[in-house]
Amino acid sequence: MSDHIVAEVSEIKDGERILVELKGREIGVFYLDGGYYAFANWCAHQGGPWCEGNLTGTFSGKFDRSTLEYRLDWVKEGRILNCPWHGWEYDIKTGICLSRRSVKLPAYPVRVEDGKIIVTL
Amino acid sequence: MSSERSLSLKKSTIIDVDVHLQIKPAEVAEYIEEPYRSIMTKSHIGNPLPDSGWDRSMAGKIERRQVQGPEDIHQKLCEEFHINHPIINAFGKLGKASMTKLAVSLMKGYNDLVLEKYLDGYDHFYGLISVATQDPEAAAEEIYRVGDEKQFVGVFMDNTGPNPPLGDPRYDVVYRAAEDKGLPISYHAYDSGFIVDFPRQNAALETFFSVHVLTHPYAHMLTMTSLFEHGVPEKFPGLKFIFLEGGVTWLPYMMYRLNKIHSIRRFDAPMLKKTPEEYIRDQFYVSTQPIGEPNNQDDMRKIMEVIGYDRMMFSSDYPHFDFDHPEGLEKFLRVNVPAKDRKRVLETNARGVYGI
Ligand code: FES
Repeated sequence: MSDHIVAEVSEIKDGERILVELKGREIGVFYLDGGYYAFANWCAHQGGPWCEGNLTGTFSGKFDRSTLEYRLDWVKEGRILNCPWHGWEYDIKTGICLSRRSVKLPAYPVRVEDGKIIVTL
Repeated sequence: MSSERSLSLKKSTIIDVDVHLQIKPAEVAEYIEEPYRSIMTKSHIGNPLPDSGWDRSMAGKIERRQVQGPEDIHQKLCEEFHINHPIINAFGKLGKASMTKLAVSLMKGYNDLVLEKYLDGYDHFYGLISVATQDPEAAAEEIYRVGDEKQFVGVFMDNTGPNPPLGDPRYDVVYRAAEDKGLPISYHAYDSGFIVDFPRQNAALETFFSVHVLTHPYAHMLTMTSLFEHGVPEKFPGLKFIFLEGGVTWLPYMMYRLNKIHSIRRFDAPMLKKTPEEYIRDQFYVSTQPIGEPNNQDDMRKIMEVIGYDRMMFSSDYPHFDFDHPEGLEKFLRVNVPAKDRKRVLETNARGVYGI
């Protein structure tokens, strides 16, 4: 395990990301709502470059059994990463795949020191 | 059947989850009100429920088998086939009846008839409630009307003909009623409905061979896909779904294809909180007949292991032309699977699902 300075905080704006190479691995570092998240650029489905996908919202369905009303809400805008190859959706804050809850992409620890973003791997 | 051959069958308890009645229009007419009664008896075309006219008999080459009345079921199925409990459906082709009011009237008529003629005098018989999906509110009311009858153990839906397909939210009222009453849903397709759902293919195919090969899997695939599109198993987690007369081998294909496309297009089916496979392994079942026939029998064992012995229930479909004799399946299971799994398929899965 070692620390790697990947950028100055000013280099990643809210809702943006950078791709870096650390120890021969491509890593995506995201900044969202004041938090940093780092993942390998490797999708659990077929190994696609998921860190390069679009950040969007997603549908959440709600059903009221007594009225039988069925509602779709568009939620988590900017927080859902869609793998560019086949569109598997992941929650960037947790790494969890929305259609397969047992799939969770491992996150690398990220911290900020003296204005620098440091990823540990 | 020789006594030696039937020995093992006699020792097993067998529940047959797909036993059809052949109810003539004049017979059900006695259970319905005017003017529908007269429509059933005075129609110029014989039976007002549409039929596509395909010849099942191959110009009379296979014998015509009929089961007429409860005593016949008892004799032919319970005595000769060693079926302990037949689960009877009226086999009314309600999904395609052209008048909604006629369908609703027939629905009640079939249920009263089944209750009076088949269930009341025969404690070892069970029945499924027919519903007319043309009028989901009336169908739900019917489930509440007869759902407490002890021998009615499920709801029977004709799934060739209903439009939109049966996952549409308009049917939620029916699913809620079934869940309220603790009754599972059994889907059953009809070859005569192929002409409604797939008219272009029906016009293009030359033989009943093609129509029959495709009707049941097409209908079940459409129904199952529609259920997942609208999240029905998520909306009604207490509900069980049984797919009759499609055999078992179509299930793995659909399970994995639904998984695949849902993972890509969750956007289109966002009600689902789990993979389709998880719902299927929890809430879905298939009946065994007509059991697929691989050239290498061991292939069937492998497929059944993939499906899981907790998902399958025995059915004979007697007296139809592609019925499965219980002895054939019992023997296959006896040779190929552990006794506890054989018992699940022949008996205990159905007990659990239908509450018998
Ligand atoms: S590789 Fe990412 S969705 Fe297929």
